[in-house]
Amino acid sequence: MKTRSFTRRTLLRGLGGVAIGLPVMEEMFPGTSLAASAASKQVPTRAFNVFFGLGIPDPVQPNQFDGVLEPLAPLRDQLMVLRGVDQVRCDRSGMNAHFDGATGAFTATPPNGEARSGGASIDQLVRRAHYPDGLPKGMVPTLVGGTFFRRSRVGRYVHSYNPDGTTAAAMQEKPRDLFERVFGRIRLSGEGNETEERLKRSVLDSVAEQYKFYTGANSPLGYASKERFKDHLDRIREYEERSFAIDIDDPRAPSMPPASELKHSGAADPGGEGIDITLEELTKEWRLMADLYALAIQMDRARFGSITFLAAGERIRLKGDYHYNGKLIHRFDDGSQLNGSGSKGCSHEWWHRFNESKKNEQLRAHAHMKMREVAYFLTRLHEGEDNREGNGKSILENSMIAISTESGDGRHSDVKRELSGIFHAVTGAGGRFKTGGVLKANSEGIDVYNTMLDAMGVTSRLGPPDRKYHRLDSMLA
Amino acid sequence: MVDSYFGLMWLGKLQIGLLCAGLLIQASSSHGQEPILDSVFRGESSEWLAKSSSTALFGESGLQLKSSGGVRYTGDSKELSKQLKSAGAMSLEVWIQPDGLGQVGPARILTFSKNANERNFTLGQNGDRIEARLRTDKRSKNGTPGLDSNQGKLAQALTHVVFTVSQEGNTVIFLNGEVAGRQRVQGTFKNWNDGYQLLIGDEASGGRPWKGRIFRVAIFDRSLNASEVNNRFSKGIGGEMQKAVKLSSSDRNAELFETKIATILTKHCLECHDSVNQKGDLDLSKSLASHFDEEILVAGNADDSLLWESIESDEMPKKRDPISDEEKELVKKWIEGGASWTIDFIDPAIYSRPADNATPWARRLTVSEYINTVRDTLGVDIEEEAGRLLPPDIRADGFSNTAYNLSVDFKHIDAYVKLANLIVAKMDLEAFSKRFTKNRELTDKNMIVYIEALGQFVLRGPVKEEEKALYRGITTTTASMNGGFIEATGHLLEAMIQSPRFLYRIERQHGIGDKAFADDFELASRISYTLWGSSPDEELLRLAEKGELNHSKVLSQQTQRMLKDPRAIERSLDFVSEWLHLDRLSHIQPNPLSFPDWKPELAQAMKDETLTFFQEVVWNEKLPMAALFNTPYSFMTPELADHYGMPTQSSGKGKMTKHDLTGIPERGGILTQGSLLTIGGDEASMVTRGLFVLNDLLRGVINDPPPSVNTEIVASEPGLSKREIGMGRVSDKTCGGCHVKFEPLAYGLEKFDGLGSFEEIDEHGNVLREDGEVAIPGDSEPVGYGTVAELMDLLAASSRVQETVTWKMTQFAMGRPLNARDAATVNAIHRGAMEAGGRYEDVMSAIVRSDLIRYLAPEPLTDESVSH
Repeated sequence: MKTRSFTRRTLLRGLGGVAIGLPVMEEMFPGTSLAASAASKQVPTRAFNVFFGLGIPDPVQPNQFDGVLEPLAPLRDQLMVLRGVDQVRCDRSGMNAHFDGATGAFTATPPNGEARSGGASIDQLVRRAHYPDGLPKGMVPTLVGGTFFRRSRVGRYVHSYNPDGTTAAAMQEKPRDLFERVFGRIRLSGEGNETEERLKRSVLDSVAEQYKFYTGANSPLGYASKERFKDHLDRIREYEERSFAIDIDDPRAPSMPPASELKHSGAADPGGEGIDITLEELTKEWRLMADLYALAIQMDRARFGSITFLAAGERIRLKGDYHYNGKLIHRFDDGSQLNGSGSKGCSHEWWHRFNESKKNEQLRAHAHMKMREVAYFLTRLHEGEDNREGNGKSILENSMIAISTESGDGRHSDVKRELSGIFHAVTGAGGRFKTGGVLKANSEGIDVYNTMLDAMGVTSRLGPPDRKYHRLDSMLA
Repeated sequence: MVDSYFGLMWLGKLQIGLLCAGLLIQASSSHGQEPILDSVFRGESSEWLAKSSSTALFGESGLQLKSSGGVRYTGDSKELSKQLKSAGAMSLEVWIQPDGLGQVGPARILTFSKNANERNFTLGQNGDRIEARLRTDKRSKNGTPGLDSNQGKLAQALTHVVFTVSQEGNTVIFLNGEVAGRQRVQGTFKNWNDGYQLLIGDEASGGRPWKGRIFRVAIFDRSLNASEVNNRFSKGIGGEMQKAVKLSSSDRNAELFETKIATILTKHCLECHDSVNQKGDLDLSKSLASHFDEEILVAGNADDSLLWESIESDEMPKKRDPISDEEKELVKKWIEGGASWTIDFIDPAIYSRPADNATPWARRLTVSEYINTVRDTLGVDIEEEAGRLLPPDIRADGFSNTAYNLSVDFKHIDAYVKLANLIVAKMDLEAFSKRFTKNRELTDKNMIVYIEALGQFVLRGPVKEEEKALYRGITTTTASMNGGFIEATGHLLEAMIQSPRFLYRIERQHGIGDKAFADDFELASRISYTLWGSSPDEELLRLAEKGELNHSKVLSQQTQRMLKDPRAIERSLDFVSEWLHLDRLSHIQPNPLSFPDWKPELAQAMKDETLTFFQEVVWNEKLPMAALFNTPYSFMTPELADHYGMPTQSSGKGKMTKHDLTGIPERGGILTQGSLLTIGGDEASMVTRGLFVLNDLLRGVINDPPPSVNTEIVASEPGLSKREIGMGRVSDKTCGGCHVKFEPLAYGLEKFDGLGSFEEIDEHGNVLREDGEVAIPGDSEPVGYGTVAELMDLLAASSRVQETVTWKMTQFAMGRPLNARDAATVNAIHRGAMEAGGRYEDVMSAIVRSDLIRYLAPEPLTDESVSH
């Protein structure tokens, strides 16, 4: 599989088009010059959450960087993997473990209803503590993006929350949306705010999708009507371009990334029945998303937020040969291997079928692949001169980045068990946390997070005020 | 209590010869009649019983099977079994329209069995195949292995299925007259069980339901041969022709004549050689023995036919473009093939348009339909904003709802987006959403149910799976941006209001075969837009959901109910505005030098006069439509009465009152109202007025003048009145051929000036006349009249005018010009309407009952299937 990676410089050279004002940018950044922030010794405070769907059952998690964690091995010195972190307090009756566990990631509190978390996520508390008057002008206050399909509940895929449980920013689910959020400004066509404009655009997207259906092969319409609907669709596209035109307000912005070829929004989650997707399609989109997100950080357009690789309880029927370091790890073919259609043929069934005494080959392969993709994103913040900051460390090393997931061993009958031993990994945050191995934390998620907040100089704590905070000293440097 | 029944009778051996040899049992539904009982067996009739009304419904459009349980034959099935056993052969025939191609089992269409494992025979559907099971003494009790239609595919369309078994054990499955499967079976029927039940749609024990519509079931005690099957297929369900059938050569020649030749004759020949002109004593609009006597046509021999000789050499048509080579080829082929002439009178109104021009278009809602739909579905008045933002619909073929012309511009999209926002902002979303759900959680489970209910109402039919996913996407996106249930509802509605299913009337056009009924939801929209110009209400949608709307009795009750609703009046006013092009009045600007007293308010008063008059005649007095032409009263403001030169009635400025016109013989009827008299412009053009009467009242057709002709308006002058100028054109050798067909129609209106005032002498002192004559298209002798009043009475009494009104109403209902293929149906509508009284409601009821509304419009046949 060939997946181009988009570094700042390759993006600057243009993706399938002429870069905007390219010569000027080349002049501005001759040679291998660094992003603006890197020029000064001052390293900004940053905090990001990285979420991946369908976790790694505790028994599958190794005690070193091998097995399903093999892809994280090159970043061993930048990470500490925490084992034995429990999120049992996140259980809420009437919910399901995918969702409870997912909403508990980075918040350690049970969800507050269908679309809200129970409290703030750690990145947001750091942001509020370090930038009480807001971020420098022009910066995206919180950047939320991701590649995911299952959407039924917000907690499955959004991982930055305000203290009142509302989402800290709108989810950018297509690379182009994220690009526009970072580098552009939607030209408001009427009154109304940007969120409203984005919603209107998503409404229009769904309208366009319907016209697309009526012009396609399964349309019940005859030739003439189809042609009329093609006209209608063209006009909608024209309207979209005119009304939601993006003003690029960052002169350093790269050219517009290509439009996503994957299903998004409602079409991506047909009633929980799952979608067919190849490994190549999935990886291509995710890596573009990861590149753009990393670029936003490098260019100092974003210091807080979250990025999601596959939603909690994600429903995809993945197909494709999965190679790692030149060896074939697995041939993904969920639908056939599970011998099921709809949701019963989706990879998430491997988690339901997890059995400690068996090999769980497919589950391991999926988990391994997710670690590869998480590592891809983290590496984009670490390798190369563009990531080197004034203190000589990489952005990855200087930032507080928490990596976590939902529960994940598929035991829906045993929620308590399922919410125990949730995978966590944390970066060094400028030398605040230990890195370089696997730590048996054996702690509650809330204590892990509060320890991180403590170390970041944040005074507020997660959880009920009367709860005693147990600092996890073993994770501190 | 019989919930529903499928009429059926036995056919006795004695009567067999009358219908079809070997026919034992036949049950059918023939469109256009009440439920049919075809024939009798030993003088006894038997019913078919459905388990309950939720199982099956019987209506004009067939037996509709909706759930399990089937419909059981209550007659003597023992006797049936005995007869078939003794015959040792049989044929099963059904006309079906499956609800879907996912039905397997096989799903039982017709079965003679005990339960899912024991049978004499079964005809069933297995996906896109037909599977027959047949017990013989060499085969299983279950009749397996199944006999399969592996050479043909079943479509989700009206399909003719026949299964035959010969005494020799040859079995054949036919789909639409074609062999779709053939197999040999061993054994005889002697081990059949006489105690089994005959059912349609399921096993007696349940569990194998088939869903769809059945229009005919017939059982024969012999094996029909291929040509018999083909023949039965070609006769269709109710004896109607199936267009896809292979026709005999004489049928093909007739079809060629009706679909091509009549159009060629209309286009190139009838201008001179019709009943009015008969140049060279030749009338090519009619089939006359003289054509053959004089060797104008020699059937089977083009070279000896004078018609061919003159067109081949381009001698004809004179002064017009020559006939194209393709058209010549067709004419030659038609003469060589026998020169079939199957039409009494080639009416140019029908044949000027190619018969295969019936390309179906998904109809975009017109501005007024959009406004009405928003009002009735969403409870919001958007008239002002929609009128301002939406581009006006452009007139084509006499109406601005002509679907092919309802194109989409950028401005439409802009307006639709803005209007969707405005509409949602005006809605009480709390109250509206409560009609569809009480649960406000944005979970999959609740949202899907909510989207289904909301969508079915707003989009006028069930929401498809992929649409549910799209709409669900909107609610999840709203949730991810911290929006709640009400915001999500708002966004859902914004998307639905811009959906193709809201803005267009979407019906199945592709893959429905040649003849398919509109389903219940399609029908609900068809009748509501036809009668109301608006969306179906909850009652219609409820009936559609229950599958009852297609039942003739229900349909008729609904039509009556809907015609009592104010929306029906509103729609009728839309029709009359369109037909008479009353919007034209908003733009007239008479020359102030000629008409110094003109005030723009008069134009509105004229429009109101006609609309109020129409409402009084049609709705309050419930007079026949023909009364519009000569009813002696009208409605005028004092200013308008004064403008007309009539005595004013004291009613306050701008206020309309009813004027009795019995003492004013020149007034009475729409043609004497300012709204129509202004049609000829300041100069009161005889040409324009005459063409209006010809085109819009008499359904006449006239070609544009040849390019070389000077069409400048000749002004009247002292000693030369408009009438005299017109008469000059009529007698002119070049112009007369056409002008004679329409100018005399306007002679009677000469005394009305360009703005409708009545005068005996024009501004030059010329004495004006009001006598003239009317040539009705198709009649060779014109009819004279002496006064305006006589002209109005003549038009009101003319069957051609009455027919034209029906044609115009039908055209407006269909949103497309009508053509030769519609002629028979429109004539049937007209006959039905006239028998019922000829009132607006009679015509509308007849339209709703007609095939034009109840059958879908399939994609047109290709040229190939017509011409060979």
